[in-house]
Amino acid sequence: MATRFETDFWKDAATRKIWDDIVPGAPRKTLPYTLTLDAIQRYCRAVGDLHPLYFDEDYARRSRYGGLIAPPSIHILLMFACTPADDWMRSPGTINAGQSWSYNEPARPGEVVTLEARALDKFIKKGRLFVIHDNVFFNPRGEVICAGRGWTIRPA
Amino acid sequence: MTDPFDRLAPGDRIDGAEFAVSRESIRAFCDASLDYNPLHLDDAYMQGSFGKTNFGGVIMHGMTNFGLLSRMLTDWAYAAGAVHRRLETRWLAPVRPGDRIRPLGRVAAKQATAKSRWVTIEVEIRNQRDEAVARGEALVEFPASSGQSGQSS
Repeated sequence: MATRFETDFWKDAATRKIWDDIVPGAPRKTLPYTLTLDAIQRYCRAVGDLHPLYFDEDYARRSRYGGLIAPPSIHILLMFACTPADDWMRSPGTINAGQSWSYNEPARPGEVVTLEARALDKFIKKGRLFVIHDNVFFNPRGEVICAGRGWTIRPA
Repeated sequence: MTDPFDRLAPGDRIDGAEFAVSRESIRAFCDASLDYNPLHLDDAYMQGSFGKTNFGGVIMHGMTNFGLLSRMLTDWAYAAGAVHRRLETRWLAPVRPGDRIRPLGRVAAKQATAKSRWVTIEVEIRNQRDEAVARGEALVEFPASSGQSGQSS
C-alpha cells in the first residue's frame, strides 16, 4: 500500500542531506512505485499531450506497442514517486540546471517501477553548489525503462 | 513509398505546439510530477535569492520545458515509425506565469550505425518575445524495419 505523498517540501527539510553531506557514489534510498493509468494521463494532460498511445486503448493495442504506454518523459513523475520525503531532490530552492535522458522500453500502466539512483559528482562553480546525479528506472522484468543524468544547484 | 529516414535532410524543421503558462498550469504540473518545490508555488519565498539568482516570483518547472520538447519529439517520431531515444536540455532563462512558450527542432545530422539509423535534432523552446528559454539536443532512432506510422494496421 502506497504511503501518502507529502506535498509540503518544508516539512522534512531538516532531515535531508545538504550539499556537504552528499557522497558521490553512495546509493540513494528509493521506493517501488505502481504507475497507474490515471497518473500517466494526469502527467500527459499537464503538458498538453493527448496522444492516443496514452489514452485510446484500441488504438494502442493495434500499434507497435501492443497496448497503452506512458510517454518517455514520465520519468519526471517517477523521480519524485520513487524517492522518499527526505530525499535531497526535494530541498526547497533546488535549481534544476539541466537533464539528459536515454529511453529504452516504454513504461506501461500497472507496472511497478523501481529506481537505482546516486550522486555521481559534486563541485563548486562560480560560487554555486552543483551535484550531478544518475538515475535508472526498471520495469518489473528488470528491463531498463530509461536512464538519466541531472545537474542541480543545491541551496546554499 | 520512400523511407521516412531517407527523406530527412539537415535543416528540416520540427514544430511543436504552443503552451500557455499560468499559475494553474504550473499547479497542474506540480500535481502531475509530484514536484511541489516552493519555487513553483510560493511568491513570498521567491522574493529571496537562490545562490546568486533572484527570480522575483514563482517560475515554471524547468522540466515542463523537457516534457514539451519530448512531446514534440514523440509526435514527430510516432508518425514516422521512429523512436524517441534521448533528450538533453539545459535551461537558459526562467519561464513565468503569463508566458507563452513553443518548442521547435531542427534536424542536425543523420547517421547509420551497425544496427540502426539515427537522427540528431537540435531543440529549443522560445517564449513570446522570441527569447530562447531552453536548448538541447535529441536523438531519434529509425529502426531499419520502421514502417510509415506508429500504427501497424
